[in-house]
Amino acid sequence: MTLNLSKNGTGMIEFRGVNKWFGALNVLKDITLSVEPREVVVVCGPSGSGKSTLIRCINGLETIRDGDLVVDGQRLGDPATNMTRLRTEIGFVFQSFNLYPHKTALENVTLAPIHVRKIPRAEAEKAGRELLAKVGLADKVNAYPAQLSGGQQQRVAIARCLGMRPKIMLFDEPTSALDPEMISEVLDVMVAVAEEGMTMMVVTHEMGFARKVAQRVVFMDAGAIVESGTPDEFFSHPKTDRSRAFLSKILRH
Amino acid sequence: MLENFSFRTIVEYLPLFGQGLVTTVWLSVLAFAGALAVGIVLAAMNLQRGWLFRIPAKAYIDAVRATPLLAQLYFLYFGLPRLGIILPELVVGILALSLNSGAYVAEIIRAGILSIPRGQVEAGVASGMTYVQRMRFVILPQAFKVTIPPLLGQAIVLVKDSALLSLIAVAELTRAGQLLASDRFMPAEGFITIAAFYLLLYYGLKGLAALSGRWLGLAGVRT
Repeated sequence: MTLNLSKNGTGMIEFRGVNKWFGALNVLKDITLSVEPREVVVVCGPSGSGKSTLIRCINGLETIRDGDLVVDGQRLGDPATNMTRLRTEIGFVFQSFNLYPHKTALENVTLAPIHVRKIPRAEAEKAGRELLAKVGLADKVNAYPAQLSGGQQQRVAIARCLGMRPKIMLFDEPTSALDPEMISEVLDVMVAVAEEGMTMMVVTHEMGFARKVAQRVVFMDAGAIVESGTPDEFFSHPKTDRSRAFLSKILRH
Repeated sequence: MLENFSFRTIVEYLPLFGQGLVTTVWLSVLAFAGALAVGIVLAAMNLQRGWLFRIPAKAYIDAVRATPLLAQLYFLYFGLPRLGIILPELVVGILALSLNSGAYVAEIIRAGILSIPRGQVEAGVASGMTYVQRMRFVILPQAFKVTIPPLLGQAIVLVKDSALLSLIAVAELTRAGQLLASDRFMPAEGFITIAAFYLLLYYGLKGLAALSGRWLGLAGVRT
């Protein structure tokens, strides 16, 4: 039986006492976190704190050892949960873009809608062109990833996720691999997606983005959630020594 | 020495060489098609996590790579009839080449698939693709392109290896040279001529490799 928690007024993404180990290393420690529909949560913390692992668990790129993780009302690891189908509802944007290099921008966007969602090709291509126009790449539909800048590739990657009409979008350090001058063009697209009411979890240190669209900032250290609060609370009045130490390091630059 | 070299005899035997060349070409094409089929199956087995398929595939590949093709050819040529399987020499020859070359092709394909970055698999997984869809739309098209150059190298090896089929009396190119050599006692004429024809085939395949290289560049594949 699938627990239908979201209908009971609980979150779109629910972590309850989740633990994960890589060998002897406890990478996620007793994580409890609920993300409401249409909520934007920014996850930050030092390198190796488990932020990427946390969001990679949500679409099953990593598996959890114990605790409950319920996404869109379906419990992960439950035999009744069709993980492949659930993933179609979850867009995932990678730090390194991971566009398909042998496909054009438009083909990158339409591949999964056509073959996974079974949307007719003409319809998928029309939607794909609209999405590429929306991320400011109307003139690049036929370009291959190698012909695009990092910022352009990441915008195609976001359009590729949106093409599946997901309920949730996860971003794993989407601007960390970009040259500084390309960061804002990607953040602008993410802000637009957030403003349309997408449920989002974003691993990033971009405070401007967090202040603009996030309802909540979650700070992780050594696999545990140390602190969470509104962007204003967190950035202006961090409550713990660890978050203060972290913020002093990223603010100095 | 050259004054004794009989171009006239070579010209006289040209029709035989021509037939041999044609046979070498089409039996090589068939054997390579077979090698691709064998190689794809072996590579797929070898990439499984479970040992059930992986161990037999590895054992087969090791056995083929560790033993001479000639031994494998004779193993089939003399072994199959003892199992009651009587096949024409040509079929046995093509089979031997396919089974032999397939082991090498399997390693080329496996390396090609493993060369595709992990992020490509994850992108496919994250968008809800099944294993088969990921292979079909994401991994194999990319792996195919990186494997074309080494596969053509393997095809060249296969064409040269097909010379061994002369030993089980398949009327291919080398057999034509042997006939000239033994009929007229002119080994130089016989074997230099076939060497020239093999060189011709080599350049043909190399041209194909260059063409495919240009095509790869056009398709925007990172190299």
